[in-house]
Amino acid sequence: MSIQEKVKINKLPTGVPGLDEIVGGGLPEFSFNIIAGAPGSGKTTLAHQFVFANATPERPALYFTVLGESAIKMLRYQQQYTFFDPAKLPGSIRFINLSQVVLEKDLGAVLEQITKEVEKSNPAVVVVDSFRTMVRKPQSDMDLQSFIQRLALFLASWQATTFLIGEYAEDELRDNPIFTVADGLFWLRQTAERNSIVRKLQIIKLRGQDSVPGLHTFRITDAGVQAFSRTFGLTGHVKNAPSHRRLSFGITELDKMLGGGVREGDSVLIAGSSGTGKSVMATQFIAEGIRKGEPGIVAVFEERPQAYAERATSLGLDLETPQKDGKLTILYLRPLDLSVDETMHSILDAVKKIGAKRLVIDSLAGFEMALSPGFRADFRESLYRMIFALTGIGVTILSTVEVDESFTEFPFSTYSISFLTDDIIRLRYVSIDGQLRKIMVVIKMRGGNHAKDIREYEITSKGVVILGKRLTNYQGLISGIPVRTDRPDSTEETLQDTGIKRKL
Amino acid sequence: MRELARRLLAYEAVAGKTSELGEAATLRVYEKLRQSLGEFVGVAGFQSLAFRALTQAKSEAPSLWAVRLAADGSLQGLEEFKPQPGEFEPQLGSGKDQASEGGAALIARLLGLLLIFLGEALTLSLLRDAWPDIVLDDRGSIHGRKA
Repeated sequence: MSIQEKVKINKLPTGVPGLDEIVGGGLPEFSFNIIAGAPGSGKTTLAHQFVFANATPERPALYFTVLGESAIKMLRYQQQYTFFDPAKLPGSIRFINLSQVVLEKDLGAVLEQITKEVEKSNPAVVVVDSFRTMVRKPQSDMDLQSFIQRLALFLASWQATTFLIGEYAEDELRDNPIFTVADGLFWLRQTAERNSIVRKLQIIKLRGQDSVPGLHTFRITDAGVQAFSRTFGLTGHVKNAPSHRRLSFGITELDKMLGGGVREGDSVLIAGSSGTGKSVMATQFIAEGIRKGEPGIVAVFEERPQAYAERATSLGLDLETPQKDGKLTILYLRPLDLSVDETMHSILDAVKKIGAKRLVIDSLAGFEMALSPGFRADFRESLYRMIFALTGIGVTILSTVEVDESFTEFPFSTYSISFLTDDIIRLRYVSIDGQLRKIMVVIKMRGGNHAKDIREYEITSKGVVILGKRLTNYQGLISGIPVRTDRPDSTEETLQDTGIKRKL
Repeated sequence: MRELARRLLAYEAVAGKTSELGEAATLRVYEKLRQSLGEFVGVAGFQSLAFRALTQAKSEAPSLWAVRLAADGSLQGLEEFKPQPGEFEPQLGSGKDQASEGGAALIARLLGLLLIFLGEALTLSLLRDAWPDIVLDDRGSIHGRKA
């Protein structure tokens, strides 16, 4: 058989944002699927989204309800979701209650009733919610298996894509013969981690389709279920070729230290203790990008966007106008139960929307705090995936991280994430001549040469300003407690960007 | 809601070739609702709604005193639209009027419950499906502000 003769499996939209990518482009047409999970895990909502996305008057959806949630209550609650279109009922979506048959008769009668309705309506989609309640009566598992086997055969013949919804606990997953019948098995989990609720879904199997393995976080909002793929929606995206373009920081002397600026597509880390100017430098970086026609995103976790923009104004940087012009988005992300995937989704949406070239994450500590406790354990791994994904599409990322000021050590980051970054700029306090001054040094620059100089800087009304030449008359600067050497002081030098004179 | 109920009763009176909005029209409207709702809420679900509606309707239309529900949710005793024993019939109007008002009260209460539980949009969708020839196109229709 040649490749042209192979059957083509159509993919149906799931109606769940993010899920199409996870299942490999859409749900296989005519597949027989089971959605399993504990009560409250979002099974019914997910099925409803699929139904509303695919039902038409010509090929309607039949939604069989059995025992459990009353149909009228279910519709009362489900219609609160934005995907719920009442006009589709009952022409395109018919809800049929099987409680009476289940209570009074056996599974054979249930199958007969379903068969009758399917023959009458010729549906494209069939849902049985919840099929497991049908065996609360004294019937064996074999009865249910036989019922499902016959139902699967019948519905496949009628070219219907089917969802059976069932309440299952985690330990029931193994060796359950019912699951062998299904083409697709969707498992929804909901766990409490300290005070946060974390929802995850897993495609345990999906015949004929290359689904994304692993656990994907999802959230239920007024728009229904929204899934966040571990691949951040970038499956199949070709990684951008490395760029040799340099991006200016907006701080002339720092650009020189970086050999002309940050390489486009790099991940830059600015590490320093509180008050050293990390956020100021980040703001200058994003403002300079906007000035050069490179839209930017700032993800803030520790202050509101308005406060962030106002602080920029005090540095003479206008972040209000570019926001209005669609050149800048300041994302405030702090629900305390975020997943990295969800955060990434917000960032990627913003990146796509404004064509962002620069991204500031201010700060990694705030980012970590915004995550639910369970995700904090995976923070490094998540950061790796996030940075890899974003730099892969050509975005230059600048992250700030607070490090404890130590006078015996010189740590780059408390997260041991230095390996994730291409460039590291370290800021720190030093005690000089009875003053607590600030120095910066470029620690690392992957793929490029950089200055080895340790430079003193100040935070002025124009932002971070690097002073004079490198500090040559001190030893042990990075210890924070340098010792003045015999080398003569530098002569008075003009502050590079301000015109202020100061004796170093 | 009472106005909408009357519209449905009037429609079914014509469809049933009777000029009165009494027993026959009430039964036709009620049965259509029972079929339509029973499909998705189940027999027990419909029976519960109907029982509540009947209880409410009886408080405002005493002529329904003899009406009761069967286990399948169907109406029984509707033919006995009449004043309660001891009531002075002339004060209550004619038997036909009472039947008409009793039927309208019951249907209105049932529609009212649907409106409470399912909301306007979904209730209208269901009614449009059951009565495709009746124009139910805006809030006025369901709230009785538009004939």
